[in-house]
Amino acid sequence: MSQTATLPASPETFEDQAAPETRIRSYWQSVGYRLRHDKMTLFFGSIVLLIVLAAVFAPLLAPFDPYKESIIGRLKPIGWRNHTLGTDELGRDMLTRLLYGGRVSLLMGIVPVIFATCIGGMLGVMAGFMGGRVNTGIMRTMDVFYAFPSVLLAVAISGAMGGGMMNGMLALTLVFIPPMCRVAETATTQVRSLDFIEAARATGAGTFVIVRHHVLGNVLGPVFIYASSLVSVSILLASGLSFLGLGVRPPTADWGLMLSTLRQSIYVVPFVCALPGVAIFVTSICFNLVSDGLRAAMDVRM
Amino acid sequence: MRTYPHLKGSFRAGLVALALATACPATVQAAGTLVVGMTAGNIPVTTGNPDQGFEGYRFVGYNLYDSLALWDLSKSDKPSDILPGLATGWQIDPANPNRWIVKLRPGVKYHDGCAFSADDVVWNFQFRMDQKSPNFFAQQFAYTRSFLTNVKSVEKVDDMTVAFETNFVESLFPYSLSYVLMVSQCRLKALNGDWAAYAMQPSGTGPYKFDKMVPNQRLELVPNTDYWNKDRIPKQDRLVLIPMPEASTRTAALLSGQVNWIEAPSPDAIPRLKSAGMKIVTNVYPHHWPYMLNHKRGPFTDLRVRQAANLAINRADMVEMLGGTAMEDHAIVPPTVAYYGNPPKYAFDPVKARALLKEAGCLPCKVTFGISTSGSGQMQPLPMNELVKAQMDAAGFDVTIQTMDWNALLDVYRAGVEKFPNYDGLNFSRGLLDPVNAIIKQASKLYWAPAGPNWGHYAHPDGEILVQKIFNEFDPAKQLALLIQLHELLGREAMMIFVVHDLNPRAMSPKVQGFVQAQSWFQDLTTISVAP
Repeated sequence: MSQTATLPASPETFEDQAAPETRIRSYWQSVGYRLRHDKMTLFFGSIVLLIVLAAVFAPLLAPFDPYKESIIGRLKPIGWRNHTLGTDELGRDMLTRLLYGGRVSLLMGIVPVIFATCIGGMLGVMAGFMGGRVNTGIMRTMDVFYAFPSVLLAVAISGAMGGGMMNGMLALTLVFIPPMCRVAETATTQVRSLDFIEAARATGAGTFVIVRHHVLGNVLGPVFIYASSLVSVSILLASGLSFLGLGVRPPTADWGLMLSTLRQSIYVVPFVCALPGVAIFVTSICFNLVSDGLRAAMDVRM
Repeated sequence: MRTYPHLKGSFRAGLVALALATACPATVQAAGTLVVGMTAGNIPVTTGNPDQGFEGYRFVGYNLYDSLALWDLSKSDKPSDILPGLATGWQIDPANPNRWIVKLRPGVKYHDGCAFSADDVVWNFQFRMDQKSPNFFAQQFAYTRSFLTNVKSVEKVDDMTVAFETNFVESLFPYSLSYVLMVSQCRLKALNGDWAAYAMQPSGTGPYKFDKMVPNQRLELVPNTDYWNKDRIPKQDRLVLIPMPEASTRTAALLSGQVNWIEAPSPDAIPRLKSAGMKIVTNVYPHHWPYMLNHKRGPFTDLRVRQAANLAINRADMVEMLGGTAMEDHAIVPPTVAYYGNPPKYAFDPVKARALLKEAGCLPCKVTFGISTSGSGQMQPLPMNELVKAQMDAAGFDVTIQTMDWNALLDVYRAGVEKFPNYDGLNFSRGLLDPVNAIIKQASKLYWAPAGPNWGHYAHPDGEILVQKIFNEFDPAKQLALLIQLHELLGREAMMIFVVHDLNPRAMSPKVQGFVQAQSWFQDLTTISVAP
């Protein structure tokens, strides 16, 4: 049996033709669209979210007191009695300590990056936009800090100022300011010579207005992407400082410190001893992959 | 499927290398070689008195060199004491209680062949004490300074006799002679006074001779077959010393056969080492792990608070956590020491501790302790301090722990409480080798930091009187009675928070034979042989 397709009647006139449906997305809508369709980033982002929520609600989720020790119950394996993830060298519940440790590790991972982004970004924009001697002064000062490897610099600053969470965060902030400043300066230098900046100048716009409305909008993207990649580095460095005894003070639950004290017991409960390391690894890799996803979503050339 | 042909060769080569490495480990040692994994972070210096704490003396100092008085390390059942070394004896000058006459041992030769004489003794003290000496060595001045506080001058009486003038009468002065190691003047002259060159060609009179050193990695010593004490000529072919500051690394090195002796394995690793057939040895020795307290200001100036802190400590739990490698400490020295006496025993009693704090008007009692993350004799500082904090907090204290690097803690300790008043206590392990260092220096104003090791500036009128009496008492029995009184006083005064004495665990391969673990920080390695 033959079938005949019936075509809709052609519009009679040009005016009757409907305009094709096109959606014009703003930059941020476009970023959101790309992120929503990036399953990998969504997956690792949800793990990051879970880790953050677990840390924030640690007091509600933790089954035990993180500081209650029991010498009889020390170094017990995963699943011992009610201790889902075993106990540490003082008999404290590992799950509880890991949940509380996440609060410190995330705090030390995120806060220094925020401060470094604000300070380093501001210095970088100033150096890039003003150029000349201001640029030389700021960037050569940053180069001095670049002369030291970041780990060594963090250890040196923490060692000089003494241990403790505040000093650790201050040390990490100082470590991250130079690279953040460099990124902001490079992005600003590229933008400041573009036509629209010249046009804004020609209209009589002041420096602050130009920076606020025309420069920052173009600089924030790369700065934000770089900042997100620093979070995992910050978590690793903060854990390293605690491992060396230069981070948080005992008995505060912190993944780096837990790893340091538990490593002597690796022959007794190897899996329990590895848990803080696993937490550091998973968190930092998730932040790294989410950062990669953000970079892909925010890069207009991709 | 995608293949990587260019990687195949590398993969095969890797497998072959792995198989060879497994079959023929590079760690196989020649028969008779004792390989030690030290806790030190580096090879102790070889230019006389070593660094790296008493471990430096144990493995390098007393092996390459001798002192005028040496420690008797031949017995494990009683605390070590000094006996004649390069000196054959010493006596106080009958006409002057500030002058000691020391007779030297004849026929002793340095490893370089030069004879040992009174000139060497005078020169050894000069280059450490006299900044005008042509060979003055600031490093050795720093390392020996605390042992020489009472040496005013040294003079040669004849070729085999020297005389020491002291600043004040000190009946226990001969102990100071055990800490100054006799370096070869002859060798340094041959090297034109170059101490850096001397470090690579050191020469002493000790039972071992320097053979070779890879800086930061290993030091190799060989027996001195001409050693003056024939009973102490080493029974092994070679002694290799490797710095391994990380306990897990030392354990792995022993299990893999890289070394056949390790110092201070982690208590938690001991069952694993035992199951692998390793020998674990422990013994009481003059060590304690206390908190030195701030006696100038703060809560610990009150005796009741100090007693409360001592009552708050559950020492049995601490020993349990350390796998039995420690013993409870209730005073300063262990009970095996002759002048222990009968100090009070601070049994765990948190209720009484809380009542004392209430009575003292310090509840909760906020205190801050400075601790290190590692260090010579510091045992397992992080978990141990965490446990102490938990126990003290449960009894009414509010303890804040400030961690720092070992060298930073040493700086705080040396500078004293005046420079660091914000600390109420320091967790600082101490060597208690002789009565002067163990109790006298803690009891007298004479040794207040920074001039001495009395960090918290403790003093007690009775203690000062006792110290003077001890220094002026030359009769051993009467001196012992006075020392007992002083030790009991310090215990009653709870001048520190006493926690535990380390039992000095070390692990070794079953092939290591003939070791006698002395009750000392130092050990005699010459008796050891290593089966092939």
